[in-house]
Amino acid sequence: MFRSLNDKQSQRSLVNLTINGMLVTAPQGQTVWAAMALAGETTTRLSPVTFKARSAYCAMGVCFECMVEINGMPNQQACLFEVKEGMAVRSQKITEQTSLLTSSEITPSDAISMLAENVGGHHG
Amino acid sequence: MADNLTAPSFNNSYDIAIIGAGPAGMSAAITATKAGARVVVLDDKPRSGGQIYRNVDASPLANSAVLGEDYLKGKQITAAFKRSAAEHICGVNVWHVGNNGEVLFSLEGETQRLTARQIIVATGAMERPFPIPGWHLPGVMSAGSAQVMLKSDGLVSDGAVFAGTGPLLYLIVAQYLRLGVKVKALVDTTPKTNYVRSMSEIAGALSASAMLIKGLGLMNEIRKSGTQVYRFADNLQVMGSDTAAGVSFCVSGNSHEIVSDHVFLHQGVIPNLNMTRALGVQHHWCEQQLCWKPTTNSWGQSSQSFVSVAGDSSGIVGADSAAAMGRICALGQLVSLGLMSEQQAVTEAAEDQRFMARQQRFRRFIDCLYRPIDQHRKPTDENTVVCRCEERTVKDLKQGFAQGGRDPNQLKSQTRCGMGPCQGRMCGHTVSELLADWRNEPVADVGYYRLRTPMRLVTLQELSRFTDVAPAVTPSIIHSTKSSSSGKGSSLEEKPQ
Ligand SMILES: Cc1cc2nc3c(=O)[nH]c(=O)nc-3n(C[C@H](O)[C@H](O)[C@H](O)COP(=O)(O)OP(=O)(O)OC[C@H]3O[C@@H](n4cnc5c(N)ncnc54)[C@H](O)[C@@H]3O)c2cc1C
Ligand code: FES
Repeated sequence: MFRSLNDKQSQRSLVNLTINGMLVTAPQGQTVWAAMALAGETTTRLSPVTFKARSAYCAMGVCFECMVEINGMPNQQACLFEVKEGMAVRSQKITEQTSLLTSSEITPSDAISMLAENVGGHHG
Repeated sequence: MADNLTAPSFNNSYDIAIIGAGPAGMSAAITATKAGARVVVLDDKPRSGGQIYRNVDASPLANSAVLGEDYLKGKQITAAFKRSAAEHICGVNVWHVGNNGEVLFSLEGETQRLTARQIIVATGAMERPFPIPGWHLPGVMSAGSAQVMLKSDGLVSDGAVFAGTGPLLYLIVAQYLRLGVKVKALVDTTPKTNYVRSMSEIAGALSASAMLIKGLGLMNEIRKSGTQVYRFADNLQVMGSDTAAGVSFCVSGNSHEIVSDHVFLHQGVIPNLNMTRALGVQHHWCEQQLCWKPTTNSWGQSSQSFVSVAGDSSGIVGADSAAAMGRICALGQLVSLGLMSEQQAVTEAAEDQRFMARQQRFRRFIDCLYRPIDQHRKPTDENTVVCRCEERTVKDLKQGFAQGGRDPNQLKSQTRCGMGPCQGRMCGHTVSELLADWRNEPVADVGYYRLRTPMRLVTLQELSRFTDVAPAVTPSIIHSTKSSSSGKGSSLEEKPQ
């Protein structure tokens, strides 16, 4: 398990957030993934085929293993986001939408026309 | 202007937009602004510094000196960058760069837009994927991630196993040890043959002997600490079914097992390719570094004349050369912009070019010594996961290959390998190399995935706003290849259009 060296934590102000419903205090500026690791809540998402638990791998925005739900919004990379007061973080169970939007099978124009079909009412 | 942490008030148009605020991007910005160019630097981190100098101005550690003097050196460059007239927009993901110089990026879930006449891609490196049995299990992370968590948040993990090869691996272990963090074992997969082969490059390394001595010093530091070190290991596997339980490996045919619930893997770094790939610039396979690289001229200019590539995103050069390349790219673009005469640029670039030539000799030695073994790059075990996002194994890929998936794009449409959210970052190199073996042809002929915008995750909300905001996506990117994945024809490297 990860631990904090705690060196300068007292100098940073603290924020309150929840991780899978559990109340957690974390220093301002900490990444969501670090807060999860310290809380022992290391499952970020489930793998799309076998639904096995996955966890952060690269901690630098490359592997997308750390996708979680932040304030109800899925597909957020926990290693790139910083904690905020009142933030609600959850391990995520869905993966489909993400592959839709980033798949190189789908061009932005496709995505936009799909959007126009699906959420056409909201814009344009 | 730099390190603007509140909502930035950026202009709409610039002479040069630089993506990445590591040593390459920061140096480019300093040089370009000095000559009067209007420059914006975009980076997805909250602070400037890039990978090596991450958080150097705001370390969570009481004594950041344990990270080494190479790290502290970063303070000079971040300070010069902050003094420069460059605008720094931090904490933003750049997800589209168009042929018309349009740059789209997400800022707190909102898409913003600016344009620039010239682009410098300085997006750095990522760690080479390590596709061995069990590498996808929770508890396995890259060794770089251990360093990222240390530099960013002051987090450490006691009793972990570090395995693999390369200077960064030893650096991170040494940084842990200096902090009194217990390391269960270092499993070094550098093979004996690499030591022999690299001897032919030793003369080059001696010309950069300070770096060589530093590297040897790290190994000494680790040995003296009493940490268990296994050398010449191969057949590395992660044990465990649902989470990591440790590693197994062989040394001279004898098997070993080490129990630990944290395993950190590393076998070098490769360029972060997704931006140059999505821009459609020409790339080539580099056999020395076993990676794809954007093809550039001596000014770092790519096959699309308005795009230059600096630092590790152009091929692995290390922090000092990255800074030198950033300056050289900036000089080249100043000439293109008419802000500097070619003669002046040549004069100003001379010293950096000499420096880089010296470094390249050292790099050849390093690349030779720490060349990761085939077994750990081209998995043969059928159940090893290659594509983590879509959970595609060696077996799945072999099936796809048998059914006609002969190049990465065809294989992708056959198997979904490379289709997930990481956009092939974690499987692309493995797939190129595996296919080359299976076809018995050079990797250069096999090619890589065709990539497009968006280069990063964007939300539905962002995309929908973006349709309102701008006609943004350039036609060449939209029109290219819905058909690419239907896989007709050539597997050759795409040429720039
Ligand atoms: C995890 C890791 C740790 C490393 N640690 C060391 C070390 O301790 N010592 C050492 O000598 N070398 C280290 N390296 C090697 C390192 O790549 C170089 O030494 C040096 O940092 C290269 O400088 P650069 O400017 O080319 O890129 P980087 O320093 O990597 O800077 C690139 C920047 O671009 C940003 N970026 C990338 N894509 C986007 C995008 N789409 N939108 C916005 N921003 C983006 C990145 O977040 C990063 O801040 C490390 C590499 C990695 C991957
Ligand atoms: S851990 Fe890899 S993207 Fe966050």
